[in-house]
Amino acid sequence: MSSVFMGSSRPRGVLAFLHNFDWTLVALLMLLGGIGVGMLYSVAEGDWSPWAVRHAIRFSLGVGLMMIAALIDIRIWMAIAYPAWAGVMVLLLGVEFFGSAAMGAERWLEIGPIRVQPSELMKIALVLALARYYHGLSSDRASGFLGLIPPAILIGAPVLLILRQPDLGTAVLLALTGVVIVFMAGLNWWIIIFGAGAAAVGAPLFYTFGLQDYQRQRIFTFLNPEADPMGEGYQILQSKIALGSGGVWGKGYMEGTQAQLDFLPEKHTDFIFTMLGEEFGLMGCLFVLILYALVSARLIMIATSCRNQFSRLAVAGIAATFVSYVFINIAMVTGLAPVVGVPLPLISYGGTVIITVMAGFGIALSAHLNRGRELDRSRSFV
Amino acid sequence: MIGGSRVRLLRREDAPAPLTERTAVHTARRVALRDEEKTAIEAGRGRIAAVGLAFALGFVMLGLRAADLALLDKPAQAVAAVAEAESAKRGGRADIVDRNGEILATTLDTHSLYADPRKVWDAGETAKALVTVLPELNEARTAERLRERRAFVWIARNLTPTQRQAVFSLGLPGVGFIREPKRVYPRTRLASHVLGFTDIDGEGSSGLELGLESDLREYGERGRPMPVSIDMRVQFALADELRAAQAEFSALAAAGVVMDVKTGEVLAMASLPDFDPNRPTDSDPDARRNRAASSLYEMGSTFKAFTVAMALEDGVADLESGYDASKPIKVGNHVIHDYHAENRWLTVSEIFTHSSNIGSSKMALEVGADRQRAFLEGLGLLTRPAGELPEIADPLVPQHWGEATTATVSFGHGVAVTPLATASAFASIANGGKYVQPTFKVHPPGRELPEGKRIMSATTSQNVLDLMRQVVTEGTGRKAEAPGYQVAGKTGTAEKPKNGGYSRKDLISSFAAIFPHDEPRYVVLVLLDEPRGTPETFGYATAGWTAAPTAGKVVSRIAPMLGVDRANPDSEPQLIAANTGG
Repeated sequence: MSSVFMGSSRPRGVLAFLHNFDWTLVALLMLLGGIGVGMLYSVAEGDWSPWAVRHAIRFSLGVGLMMIAALIDIRIWMAIAYPAWAGVMVLLLGVEFFGSAAMGAERWLEIGPIRVQPSELMKIALVLALARYYHGLSSDRASGFLGLIPPAILIGAPVLLILRQPDLGTAVLLALTGVVIVFMAGLNWWIIIFGAGAAAVGAPLFYTFGLQDYQRQRIFTFLNPEADPMGEGYQILQSKIALGSGGVWGKGYMEGTQAQLDFLPEKHTDFIFTMLGEEFGLMGCLFVLILYALVSARLIMIATSCRNQFSRLAVAGIAATFVSYVFINIAMVTGLAPVVGVPLPLISYGGTVIITVMAGFGIALSAHLNRGRELDRSRSFV
Repeated sequence: MIGGSRVRLLRREDAPAPLTERTAVHTARRVALRDEEKTAIEAGRGRIAAVGLAFALGFVMLGLRAADLALLDKPAQAVAAVAEAESAKRGGRADIVDRNGEILATTLDTHSLYADPRKVWDAGETAKALVTVLPELNEARTAERLRERRAFVWIARNLTPTQRQAVFSLGLPGVGFIREPKRVYPRTRLASHVLGFTDIDGEGSSGLELGLESDLREYGERGRPMPVSIDMRVQFALADELRAAQAEFSALAAAGVVMDVKTGEVLAMASLPDFDPNRPTDSDPDARRNRAASSLYEMGSTFKAFTVAMALEDGVADLESGYDASKPIKVGNHVIHDYHAENRWLTVSEIFTHSSNIGSSKMALEVGADRQRAFLEGLGLLTRPAGELPEIADPLVPQHWGEATTATVSFGHGVAVTPLATASAFASIANGGKYVQPTFKVHPPGRELPEGKRIMSATTSQNVLDLMRQVVTEGTGRKAEAPGYQVAGKTGTAEKPKNGGYSRKDLISSFAAIFPHDEPRYVVLVLLDEPRGTPETFGYATAGWTAAPTAGKVVSRIAPMLGVDRANPDSEPQLIAANTGG
């Protein structure tokens, strides 16, 4: 279907825009947002406040943001990639020095009435910056070792700052996304194998020296939740129990709150998938998983259909960010990964993640609209 | 950033390239580049597809995981695992025994019945069968629970082995047992406030169960019971006498403490009304209040013992010094007068035995606010006393300590303290003047005695003890005498603060006893909250008529248990040797 537009210029007129627009993706996102509102209504035991209404408003704002991002030409996104990264780095440094603490971790920066979480903005900025970098690079340099140094800085600098906040979840997510983009850009397999080996050696060192005590505790608890079922392992065990208690078809909408889940903290944010499992059972879980899978499949399709490296890598990177959210969250809730505090995108309550992923989708849609376009690979940008 | 390269960026790929001399070379290079790019693009697409495939695998894995949790009968097992792990922890809690090894708290194995409703064949039949062996269950409600669409419901908690066997023999599908140890207090109400109780998860939530939490785990790990300072026999005698007094004088509440003055060990601590720690939630929260440790009282004249000690220690007075108590004195806005006014000059010992407020005030004013404060602080009356009970309360101390405060505190008003703090202050007097810190842990015999800070000289201590003995032999505390045990003591009758003033009718009557006088070893503190006079007391509810006789009875009962020798009741201490010799 993309061949129709191959080589054509940017579509003109509202009709062409509507025709070219990726409505499938938008429909999938609306469905996920709707599920979020519905679940938050149920978590509040059948009340629109405090969460469901605000989630709906935030999601609507997110859709608006996505539309605006989609209408911005992909070339402009490419042009602002590096400045955006640099700007967010400045904000991250600002958090380091002027950040306000929430629950013992400094993550927020207050500028007047606005509270920003620069680590969230970095998820988009990093994807753009890496895509921009590899766009201007010949393939042999992209696969070589020396070409790795700039991306190592692009990824490493924000990850270190975010680790210091400390926010292990976001740091892991960011590093993961970055590595996936480097891989997709065509890194030499030998380097990949070497890197994997180095990671295997470095992980224990990182565990010992790079983590805060509470982060180590979480990982230990994850490995052995039964060691302290009423203490640190409580959340994971309760979550697993509640998930399982839904069976195949679940207990029914609004029926879950009476059960063990009442003992589960964070059920409206990071642990909302548990609610879903309890109320809609295995079928509900699989349905949501399939929706997420379709969204990521759609993003991968857009990425492969793009004719320029920047769009390909940016969209695939956005897909990686989105999928990392989903994987880390669900793996954590089902006891496959330690509790690191990553929300379930579009369903969990919380504003920043909506802004991040919806802005990402907007860029992906923009890339989709411009998929036939080739962009200059001149290195004058670098 | 956008600037110069803008033109090239916008150039369409099919736009004609500018013709120059180097066009051919350019074109060749561009073709080569184009080819290279093509393979790179293909490789790039391959990599992206590989990542997509990895995503797909990830989603499949999460789906399988969800199915694993939902389908494979894990939930009930997981709950059981949690409960078992909990009970392992609870099983690790040591028994509490008294200083003689009597069991005060222990953990019993019980079995709790649960069901997995998905596996129950017929909820109605199952409920019916269960009720035949567990008649306390409500059949309709049980059936309803068994119909719930979940994997785990509790049916009954803490069943005995017999009940468990009975359920087993019913052969019902879908029900099972979890071992669930339960904390049991075989002496029920006895020492309930001291022991406290545990919550549903077997963790201490009040009393020593909370205060000694980590010690109990430690002892539990070593598989040994943990002894506490309480002596069950003394505890029983104290509680029994308090209960009798509470009934006789229709008191709202009562509290008592027995303390070893050498070691600081609390041998008994009772508070009425009390509760059954086996069923703490069935009791009135007011009954769960440990009045001996957590309630604050203005102790009244019992404080005069401290005032006299202070005056003697400071040297502003000796036993024969005289004070003019002929008319009430005015301090600030307060007018201080005596209840049993002698209206004459009184010596220090008369002030004490006749319990003169005027005399006490004058003594205290002579000592001064600062030194009074320091002295009371030394006796531990202005800070929270030590002790492993979490309920022990901070005293109520006035912010501003002026002359009026000095005067009123000298006879026990204006500062509110716990009975436990009062008992330790008296213990310090009895301990030769060195502070005694209360404790609920056993002081191993033979181990060196704790060396407390000296608050007053041994002479002062002895003088105050002699005065206190006089109170019992010829003063307000005559009814506290326990023949042969040489009780020394001080009465205290305080009006309860009510409606912004003090109530003449509602009293706190207390008695602090030290025995035996010649070799002080134990302190007994008895406090009655709003006792009422009876015909036998001629309507008096004051300490001399209520708290003093109660303390005397306690002493008579516990002295033999504690191995205190009875002296010849009619002889003075110095004659004992002669009598036994003769």
